[in-house]
Amino acid sequence: MNVAATLQRSEVLDRVLRDYRSVADSLPGSPSAHSARERAAGQLADIGWPSARDEYWRYANLRAFERSAYRPAAVSSAQSAATLSALQREGALPPPLAGFERLVYVDGVFVTGARSVAHADRADGSDWDWPAELRLGLLCDMFASDAARLYVHGTAAIEVLFLTSSAAAGAAVYPRLQVQLAAGSRLQLIERHLGAPEAATLVACNVTIDLGREANLSHYRLQQCGRHVAFTDTLWARVSEQAQYHVRGMSFGAGTARTSARVQLAGRGASVDWQAIAAGRAEQVHDTELRVEHGAPDTRTDETFRGIADERSRLAFSGRIQISAAAPGSQAQQSLKGLIEGTGAEIDLRPQLEINTHEVRAAHGASTGRLDDNLLFYLLSRGLDRQHARGLLKWAFLGDVLRTIDLPGLRAEAERLAAGQLPDVPVLAVLP
Amino acid sequence: MSGTRDTAAVSTPAAALLEVRDLHVRVGGQAVLKGVSLSVRAGEVHALMGPNGSGKSTLAFVLAGRPGYEITSGSASFEGRDLLTLAPEDRARAGLFLGFQYPVEIPGVNNAYLLKAALNAARRERGLTELDAFEFLSLVRAKTQLMHIDESFLGRAVNEGFSGGEKKRNEILQMLVLEPKLALLDETDSGLDIDAMRIVANGINSLRAADRSIVLVTHYQRLLEYVVPDFVHVLAGGRILRSGDRSLALELERRGYDWISGQAAA
Repeated sequence: MNVAATLQRSEVLDRVLRDYRSVADSLPGSPSAHSARERAAGQLADIGWPSARDEYWRYANLRAFERSAYRPAAVSSAQSAATLSALQREGALPPPLAGFERLVYVDGVFVTGARSVAHADRADGSDWDWPAELRLGLLCDMFASDAARLYVHGTAAIEVLFLTSSAAAGAAVYPRLQVQLAAGSRLQLIERHLGAPEAATLVACNVTIDLGREANLSHYRLQQCGRHVAFTDTLWARVSEQAQYHVRGMSFGAGTARTSARVQLAGRGASVDWQAIAAGRAEQVHDTELRVEHGAPDTRTDETFRGIADERSRLAFSGRIQISAAAPGSQAQQSLKGLIEGTGAEIDLRPQLEINTHEVRAAHGASTGRLDDNLLFYLLSRGLDRQHARGLLKWAFLGDVLRTIDLPGLRAEAERLAAGQLPDVPVLAVLP
Repeated sequence: MSGTRDTAAVSTPAAALLEVRDLHVRVGGQAVLKGVSLSVRAGEVHALMGPNGSGKSTLAFVLAGRPGYEITSGSASFEGRDLLTLAPEDRARAGLFLGFQYPVEIPGVNNAYLLKAALNAARRERGLTELDAFEFLSLVRAKTQLMHIDESFLGRAVNEGFSGGEKKRNEILQMLVLEPKLALLDETDSGLDIDAMRIVANGINSLRAADRSIVLVTHYQRLLEYVVPDFVHVLAGGRILRSGDRSLALELERRGYDWISGQAAA
């Protein structure tokens, strides 16, 4: 069995590298960009394709990624622009949020957006050496053509739409987002992945975040791709002294979605506030591996996950918080909760704390279960019908995270998307 | 008998709003109610008293339709309908209200939303139009004042972070908004200080009407000083051992429950 699995992994890796070789010369970019691609391909070859036997990938639906074609969708800028125009005419794009500048990428190609606050460059390589647990980020470094590069000095509000069109069906799309905030800068960033190609499509995204001293990033992430998409995003954030990184993650779409994330709290007083929800139905698989590394004194993590698994879906969230010997005075809080609604559904939650210093305040908790019968009876005893009562309780469950979305327009959108994932639950504007 | 009508003077017989007959209930294989009969007519206030573990809360839950209780025999009807076959939500819409001894906290569910949804469910059942947000607020505002509840409560999650007394007042607020035909109030007086007791009692009394009945489940007669019952029943060992008027509650206060349990044993 092990031999077969190894062979299979080797075959997948061969296929990735073969697809890469077949397109490498035609991918855009400077010589240094090509060198970076080669370096990424070499790294992946050295590390190898992930295995479900590795605890880190245990709950990922690797097979969905192994069935993919890795060759990027062959779309030109003109085709992407035409696709965007068509989507705009059809009203298929989410409404713009007041005060936000929008950048749009279609099938990984930059189409439109304000250059006043951001650069949308040809991929120019990455100086981030992805570790083994973030290895799928290397796919993007190998294949991506464009990158959304945001350098913020001051204050900005930006929305980046990564659209996957039908033109990418059967191929792969590589969105890439690189964010750098100068000291003291503030950014509200909406990162949204959407699009529903009509055949199996791989969307492999990587995101790098570099927050300077006392910078503040509010990062709203919505994954709402169609069911034919196998989606993986790899995120690496470095947070400097007194900088704050706020994440609001919402995973609703794709047939399979995997998030691999690493946050390094590198300076004294750095903090991350990671609030995420996932809602699965049918046979969706949503899996997140989040590692937060406290590497400096007085750093802080606040981590919340709420997931509802309906029908036969599977959700997993693993949150590992490592507090090093160099991080006295750190605080860490984890609250992971899952609600199983479907008879064939599954939720796996793994809170993990590794503490290697004294003077730490840390708490973690995880629970998975079904709707509380006592709460349900209370609502029924007030005359609410059963469907309404159940919907209300599910809504309240997700509310722990939804109510932390401080952009009213986006929150309304997130609530609409969440309701769409919960059978028979209307959008209820009731969260206190 | 365990009934009520023969022990209290009622001059105008009328059909019972609630009629419980020889009800036997088991919980976890254990017999808890062993033949309870109780008849409540419109306009009446009954007090159901008894020691801990006597089955008072079980009776309230069974009548409200809480799952987990095995009804082995007997019947319960509400306005002539078989109550025990109705879903809890249908019982509520028919006009039965249970005030919980331990109201649950529901984080994330807004008090005002629950009240409005519950009220409109009841109104639909009665063939009335639903209230819009403005109409609802106008209605609920007067009720919150009566219950000395700050309006900010409406925007908070149901019972979350409320003190014990606030939870009980919130239960009565819900009752005032829903205006049920029959209110079963399970130890609404427990955990209340004297001021809160008066407020809760005022709320209950404000709802007394010729077409409405109230069953107060309580250990003590203190609440009955404020909400004077027409009938008092003593439930012990799963049966109603004695029924009478208010003087029975006063006698219980003096002599305790052992007196009645002892008589029954004899």
